[in-house]
Amino acid sequence: MNVVVCVKQIPDPAAPQSLEPGTHTLDRSGKLILDDSDAYGVEMALQLAEQAGGGDVTLVSMAPNGETSGLRTALAMGAASAVLVSDDALKGADALTTAKVLAAAIKKSNPDLILTATESSDGYTGTVPVQIAELLGLPSITFAKSVVIEGGNVKVQRQTESGYDDVVAPLPLLVTVTAGVVEPRYPSFKGIMAAKSKPVETVTASDLGIATGAAGQEITSVVDAEARAAGEIVVDDGDGAQRIVAFLEELKLV
Amino acid sequence: MVGRIVIGLAITIVCFAVAGRRFFWLSRLIRSGAPAKRPYQGLRKAAEAEVVEVAGQKKLLQWTIPGLAHFFTMWGFTVLLLTIIEAYGALFNQNFAIPFIGHWSAVGFLEDFFSVAVLVSLLVFTGIRIKNAPARKQRQSRFYGSHTGAAWLVLMMIALVIITLLIYRAAQENTGHFPFQGDWWAFASLGVAKVLAPLGTGVNSVIENVALLANIAVITGFLVFVSYSKHLHIFLAPINVGTSRRPRALGGLDKTPDMDMENISEDTVFGVGKIEDFTWKQMLDFSTCTECGRCQSVCPAWTTDKPLSPKLLIMGLRDNMFASADRLLSKDSGEAAEAETLVPTVIDPDVLWSCTTCGSCVEQCPVDIEHVDAIVDMRRYEVLMESRFPQEANLFLRNIENQGDPWGLGGAKRLEWTEALDFDVPVVTSSIPDGVEYLYWVGCAGALDDRGKKQAQATARMLHRAGVTFAVLGPKESCTGDPARRFGNEYLFQEVAKANIETLKEVGAVKIVATCPHCFNTIKNEYPALGGEFEVIHHAELLAHLVNNGKLVPGGGYSGTVTYHDPCYLGRHNRVFDEPRDVIDAIPGAKQVEMGRCREKGFCCGAGGARMWMEENIGKRVNMDRTDEALGTGADIVSTACPFCMIMLDDAVQASGKGDEVRVMDISQLVEESLLSGSAPSSAPANASDDA
Repeated sequence: MNVVVCVKQIPDPAAPQSLEPGTHTLDRSGKLILDDSDAYGVEMALQLAEQAGGGDVTLVSMAPNGETSGLRTALAMGAASAVLVSDDALKGADALTTAKVLAAAIKKSNPDLILTATESSDGYTGTVPVQIAELLGLPSITFAKSVVIEGGNVKVQRQTESGYDDVVAPLPLLVTVTAGVVEPRYPSFKGIMAAKSKPVETVTASDLGIATGAAGQEITSVVDAEARAAGEIVVDDGDGAQRIVAFLEELKLV
Repeated sequence: MVGRIVIGLAITIVCFAVAGRRFFWLSRLIRSGAPAKRPYQGLRKAAEAEVVEVAGQKKLLQWTIPGLAHFFTMWGFTVLLLTIIEAYGALFNQNFAIPFIGHWSAVGFLEDFFSVAVLVSLLVFTGIRIKNAPARKQRQSRFYGSHTGAAWLVLMMIALVIITLLIYRAAQENTGHFPFQGDWWAFASLGVAKVLAPLGTGVNSVIENVALLANIAVITGFLVFVSYSKHLHIFLAPINVGTSRRPRALGGLDKTPDMDMENISEDTVFGVGKIEDFTWKQMLDFSTCTECGRCQSVCPAWTTDKPLSPKLLIMGLRDNMFASADRLLSKDSGEAAEAETLVPTVIDPDVLWSCTTCGSCVEQCPVDIEHVDAIVDMRRYEVLMESRFPQEANLFLRNIENQGDPWGLGGAKRLEWTEALDFDVPVVTSSIPDGVEYLYWVGCAGALDDRGKKQAQATARMLHRAGVTFAVLGPKESCTGDPARRFGNEYLFQEVAKANIETLKEVGAVKIVATCPHCFNTIKNEYPALGGEFEVIHHAELLAHLVNNGKLVPGGGYSGTVTYHDPCYLGRHNRVFDEPRDVIDAIPGAKQVEMGRCREKGFCCGAGGARMWMEENIGKRVNMDRTDEALGTGADIVSTACPFCMIMLDDAVQASGKGDEVRVMDISQLVEESLLSGSAPSSAPANASDDA
């Protein structure tokens, strides 16, 4: 079974971040790392391919400056190869353009299954995965907390606010996975060594036949978030537990 | 007479053949290990160790009573080699005496004195073994898991050696064949002779023959037994001591493998997966272990009911080595490839991951076994080759990798601790400014952890107060790699270490002061192997120096009782014991009380060996055990000089419900407190007034 995993390489979330002055998009010129939330998709893909008795896990990513350091992390985990779309013309691309680019790149490998995170940890639009599915004409299941392949079908436990839904769909399709679907492995040294020589195909938008015209959306302004109001401090006079319960009841959480 | 020669020689030849065959096999087995690529430490250091540890029995004498008993037994064996010469001589010539010295009273006395001393020592050993019987004391006994049957047999055989010796010597006296005939310096032999004399010369003559042959039989039989038992240490310990790391296998780890991608292939194996991956020196370690259990009795894992005992670990590896002997000696690569890895069958993962690398076992071991290196070697294999380790550790490894600190807070936050200071700390951007003496290596805990920050702030204030100039790297600093290295992730360690060395060289660092003993140890003892040579001191050493020179004069603002907890990587690993105590002593109102386990015997807080970043679900928590001991001293302040010890001890003090009565403080915080409410003595330096 061949699986494609969409992975994003993002600026280190712990490093100070800045926005580009004109476009208000995130400055991505520094070192990029593998988005933590994508490690779950990579692990899930590796496990599913192994359970299916073989098949390749291919990574698809779009990043500026031919950046591959995040891809190498995922390759070190065990993915076989990667396709990187890197093109100055795609700088500041919006979600739909990104989806078109990724869909075109995914199409080349003709996978049985496409895995993505539910959203990236830098842009947080959460719209790219389903757009990819739509562009490829495939069904999609979002927020998977468990993914099992049975015959030609995928059985997914889809996380909801109150619990989870059991959803079944035929292959091929796209599934978005939550953190917690599986525990990502830590790459072994063997994996890190092997990753150095695994193929990473770098392509441009025009190689994929994508027109890079004006983006369909732009960020017109950015405002600072309102500072959060200070919380209420309760001193425990022996009734701490009851007051916590009362607070939770007030929020209708218990 | 001829019968006596024939029987004596026959026994000897058979026993020597059996033992010789075994020793030849053992030597082939040990030499089949991987090469030990450590720089030769020189004959002088080896000779010193032989004198101090083998002849002087220094490490054994750390425990006085068993140490003395062993001292006399060991020297007894050495001196009584003379009696073996005499016994074989007597086989051929009943009137044999060693040439030149054979009739000297001093020789007779020494032989008899040590015969008696060994017998007394055996009684002491018997007492110790009965008192600490594992059947009764279970895990509390240091002999738990040791081959106690073999140990009793050893005691019995030694006793028989001495008893047969004294009997044939006594009979010789009565038949007129004794080299020290009628000489009361040979007091024990003559004493027994008095008892045997009434039996008459004829009977004594028979006794002489039988006891002499029995003596030879027991000695050569013992030789065979030794070659097949844990008692091999008689012969191997001097070799192991002579080839061990000097001054001790503590501080930096032994092996720094070349992990340059250019020099390795996909077949390169890092760490130890199978027994054959150990070096010959480590295999010698396994063979030398005498199962005394001193390591076990001081191990923070074992004594808090975790499955790791350094002794049982070494015994397990030894058993596996013997069981794998055919494979090791055939050097058949196919067979080796199919062999199972040591973890998880021979070494349980819980055993491997329980180690805090505190080094107590290495410190105690009378035969200089290097347990910690063996454990880290196996961890390296598990992490680098198999990616098989407690999953919760994923996070701290990724954090070091991506953010440069185990908490994952990132370099941008590394200067926040300086905001509370009322003076400016220069932040090095390109190179260390002229006139700045020290680079202050703050460490991740000092820069990012709330309790660590207070320690770093107090240290900075005290240095500033004493007129010490220092600068920090701020965002350019990153984890030294200590937790990654001790966890077994040598690759990550070398990545961050190389980057740090490059930074330190770029900024022109010469003198570095560190508050974290782990950073201190790593930069001082481990960076040199990667090309980073710097002069590194710990803040305890610098503060002691300042206090001793009168540059920093503690005030009268504190009075109470302080107990000092030795951080393993400052104390045992780097021998900084006196300096922090000197600092506390310089505080007029501070009275020091020591915990039972202090200095070389200091008990770990539980955070070392990357245990800080793992769950502790088995047994009693190590930090609770240590804190119980600290609270038992009745001290108001538990003082230490390590941010990780502070976190572990403070957590445990809070959990004990003593948070209101007992405080956990770094020595720098203690000095600062002494200066706060009290008035500083007039001899304080001029800039003292800007504090308080």
